[in-house]
Amino acid sequence: MEKKFRIDFNESNVLESVTYTLVSEFDLKPNVLRADIGGDGHGFMLVSIVGEKENMVKGMTHLRDLGYGVRELSGHIFHDYDRCWNCGACVSLCPTRSIYYTEDDEIKLNTDTCIACGSCINACSVKAIQLEL
Amino acid sequence: MTKTYEEINERIRSGKAVVMTAEEVVDLVREKGAERAAEEVDVVTTGTFGAMCSSGAFVNFGHADPPIRMTDIRLNGVEAYGGLAAVDTYIGATSLIDPPGTGYGGAHVIEDLIAGKKVHLQAWGPGTDCYVRKSIDTYITLDDVNEAYLYNPRNMYQNYGVATNTSDRTLYTYMGKLMPRMKNATYSSAGELSPLLNDPHLDTIGMGTRIFLAGGEGYVAWQGTQFSTTAPEVNGVPTQGSRTLAVIGDMKQMDAKYVRGLDITGYGISLAIGIGVPIPVLNKDVMQRCAISNEEIFAEMVDYSIPSKRPCMQRYSYAQLRSGQIEYQGKTVRTSAMSSLHGARDVANTLKDWIEHGELLLNEPCLPMPREGKLKSLMERGV
Ligand code: SF4
Ligand code: SF4
Repeated sequence: MEKKFRIDFNESNVLESVTYTLVSEFDLKPNVLRADIGGDGHGFMLVSIVGEKENMVKGMTHLRDLGYGVRELSGHIFHDYDRCWNCGACVSLCPTRSIYYTEDDEIKLNTDTCIACGSCINACSVKAIQLEL
Repeated sequence: MTKTYEEINERIRSGKAVVMTAEEVVDLVREKGAERAAEEVDVVTTGTFGAMCSSGAFVNFGHADPPIRMTDIRLNGVEAYGGLAAVDTYIGATSLIDPPGTGYGGAHVIEDLIAGKKVHLQAWGPGTDCYVRKSIDTYITLDDVNEAYLYNPRNMYQNYGVATNTSDRTLYTYMGKLMPRMKNATYSSAGELSPLLNDPHLDTIGMGTRIFLAGGEGYVAWQGTQFSTTAPEVNGVPTQGSRTLAVIGDMKQMDAKYVRGLDITGYGISLAIGIGVPIPVLNKDVMQRCAISNEEIFAEMVDYSIPSKRPCMQRYSYAQLRSGQIEYQGKTVRTSAMSSLHGARDVANTLKDWIEHGELLLNEPCLPMPREGKLKSLMERGV
């Protein structure tokens, strides 16, 4: 299975190698989608992880025990179809092509492939896309 | 074969008119030719749904008791014009909220009114012998006011440029967010559906032409501002902005579905509206022009990182632009529209539906649009 997680860290654990631990100890395949580290050592990363469900639970529990904040990302992006007027301004900005034109030129957003990069958010003139991390 | 407006209207009244959208006639004319298609089709409907910044609404609030001559007016905190008589105002789409910064403006007031919402009216006046009152603070709705009509001085640009950005930083423009080093390009015309691309020299569209304006019945009121006829043409249609129209229509008939107040990051407030124009198929030439397709309509790509006088980098057809990517000097550039293609089609289909059901008759313009128009620039001089 594949799931996306937001992992928060701080100055005490910023140096630990999260991805290495997940690969070597839990047989998971993490892919870092995005990472932000502030000057104060606080930060977060968004990872997409592929692996057995059991390993994923163990791996995430382990990270929590080490003091990381771990939260699964699902429904992290919300596209308000009522407010959206299908202008398309967001389409060419999405690096994963998660926003697309349908056959009838409506705009749809595939939340499964969205990596929460945020590029589309300030391109929308009616605030129809909201990102909650 | 020729038809008159009266013949077409007779068919509309009797429910027999054949109406097709500008998209639908492309294939029909390819198959049967313009002559046969013109015999079959009575009306072609067009549509566009995009940001039309030069828009606004006239409103008459009615007199309160005691009355006030309003000279300083706010609607939901947005400045409306106070230089008309007593309780008339004009609220422009791009007018900002005071203090600015909340992403709300005149366009949102217009959307809220059409959506039937209550709008906060605050007004002040000098207090005169005939209008003693100096201030008022109340709430209004579209139903409460005497008249409310959009009068948009410049809508429906005939065509428009394609925007890209060759610089190293992201640009936030009225053509959307343009990523550095030409990662994307945006365009704004509805192409083959767009009203003025289907009647490029305005042979049937003129003053008084009845149109679909944001879900209600509207009219072409005048030539649009910055009306120009000098753009280069390819396949008989201009490759740049060119002609524009001023339109007017009763807000009380409008549907909020076709109206959006926009807050465009880095640019400001604008109003998106859906407009459709019916084109009477008077003869085979009108039919032929309505059959123009996205492959045959071109727009010029320009670099928005150049501050002024942007030269054309390359021309692209709307078929290329709509494919989602174009090539420029060996580089792939992703494209998306800045106007709603889905909305444009919805407008053209709704207008088609109205005409098929005899709800909208066509009319001959009472004055043709100018054959020529040239853009002037603003000269800066001492005296
Ligand atoms: S945040 Fe927006 S632009 Fe980024 S991946 Fe998700 S949908 Fe695409
Ligand atoms: S930019 Fe906003 S309104 Fe336009 S298509 Fe995207 S989500 Fe919809």
